[in-house]
Amino acid sequence: MQSPRPLIFRRRASNLVSKMLGTAATVFGLSWLTWILIVTLLNGARALSLRIFTDITPPPGSDGGLANALVGSLLMSVLGVLIGAPLGIAAGTYLAEFAERRPVWRETIRFVNDILLSAPSIVLGLFVYTIYVRQVGHFSGIAGGIALGLIVLPVVVRTTDETLRLVPNMMREAALSLGIPRWKVTVQVLYRAALPGILTGILLGLARITGETAPLLFTALNNQFWSSNLDGPTASVPVVIFQFAMSPYDAWHSLAWAGAFVVTMVVLLLSVGARAYLLKNRMDSNA
Amino acid sequence: MLNEAALIDSAAAGSAAAGAARTKISVKTLDFFYRGYHALKNVNLDIPERQITAIIGPSGCGKSTLLRVFNRIYSVYAGLEATGHVLLDGEDILDPRYSLNRLRTRVGMVFQKAVPFPLSVYENVAFGLRHHIRLSRGQMEDRVEKALREAALWDEVKDKLHSSGLGLSGGQQQRLCIARAVALRPQVLLLDEPTSALDPIATGRIEQLLSDLQRDYTIVIVTHNMQQAARVSTYTAYMYLGEMVEFGTTAELFTRPQHRKTEDYITGRFG
Repeated sequence: MQSPRPLIFRRRASNLVSKMLGTAATVFGLSWLTWILIVTLLNGARALSLRIFTDITPPPGSDGGLANALVGSLLMSVLGVLIGAPLGIAAGTYLAEFAERRPVWRETIRFVNDILLSAPSIVLGLFVYTIYVRQVGHFSGIAGGIALGLIVLPVVVRTTDETLRLVPNMMREAALSLGIPRWKVTVQVLYRAALPGILTGILLGLARITGETAPLLFTALNNQFWSSNLDGPTASVPVVIFQFAMSPYDAWHSLAWAGAFVVTMVVLLLSVGARAYLLKNRMDSNA
Repeated sequence: MLNEAALIDSAAAGSAAAGAARTKISVKTLDFFYRGYHALKNVNLDIPERQITAIIGPSGCGKSTLLRVFNRIYSVYAGLEATGHVLLDGEDILDPRYSLNRLRTRVGMVFQKAVPFPLSVYENVAFGLRHHIRLSRGQMEDRVEKALREAALWDEVKDKLHSSGLGLSGGQQQRLCIARAVALRPQVLLLDEPTSALDPIATGRIEQLLSDLQRDYTIVIVTHNMQQAARVSTYTAYMYLGEMVEFGTTAELFTRPQHRKTEDYITGRFG
């Protein structure tokens, strides 16, 4: 019989090594993110001024802001959520609550939804270009909103489906055993129980589309001027960043940095806010 | 271990209460299949009106399954099938023509874990009522108060009717679930191990409540806890492997079981 000491040393050593490897991997991954954030914040903060929010995108050589792009982004994002969220909630509800008797069909939809979730966003842009832009004959903010809606859709389907499935079955049975029909149980009891999760899904979807560029290139295009007409080409912050960053003009570069700063902050706040909201609700319901 | 003296005392009290009661639910040749698995085998049972009937037996014996047939809650899930007859006041509730709505207003159910809806205390009780009958605000308040009083919860919640039902203690939540069920004034109350997640004091309150409720309701309770069955019920059914082994007054079943299997179970030799 060997003494157990060498075994303990070996375990301690392998524990130490795996801890170091794990920490190193985390630091490696996070350092890039930190670097990107710091550069964006420094350059963006330097370029930031009130004119960003009041003036429209300037022609080369003069000063201006991003007001038209900010408004365009806001409108198209809202449109995207208005299209994607209701459809997504309906589909997620179907999957979680009403597809039990058709398991193959249900799993197929879940699988297809996961594909849509990971589809390259430029493909969604091209899809909307084909089915909408080509048919109406011109680029428009509406087309951009539809493309963004297609990105929101699978996110909301998935989170709605998952949070509804987390509601204990006993709650469904308790409501049903009061003689209340299934649809009413879903809308009045289960939605209330799943609300934090569903809202979080919508916020995460919104955060994702706020920074999307590719699906807007073939749909909303861009617009250098002030336009409140969503049926025409519409400016957006990510596309302006894309265009200005590739230009040779310093004034445009600094506007692109400012845009990157604003978009990053909005996405950061949305994601952190959504997660904090979810966490708070989880803690409340555990209390 | 069972406390034999207490057991025989309460069983004797139970048998005194057991008159010749009218049959409320009559189960005839009931079979139940769970995706091909034969979960209930030719079950026959007459549940007397306005009495507490306990169903006991080891895990997986089908006691919960039987209970879930009585309000057809099993039909929510695919692949579950009941054949035979379950007569409620002489009408077959397994007949597809028997409306679920009607059945579930007559047969209320309380579950193993208290699951208040994510609504206020008041709305938890009013929710079912609102769906079935149109009441004025005042009438609704009366019905809610009455249900909460019946569930022996009113005094504890009357000052926080409009705060969340999830904020109550476990025992209070379970009594809220009972209030929710009795608010519809059902005739039968099904309880599926209603105290298995509660501490002894909360359990005691629920048991007291059940013996008060049996004046107005036919109560069927599934329990893992034999002492509980002995304490609260007048009749007891013992099930084993999907079969109804023995049914009789609680006093008889616990003191002079007719079957060897029942005796083994109640004396703790297995199960």
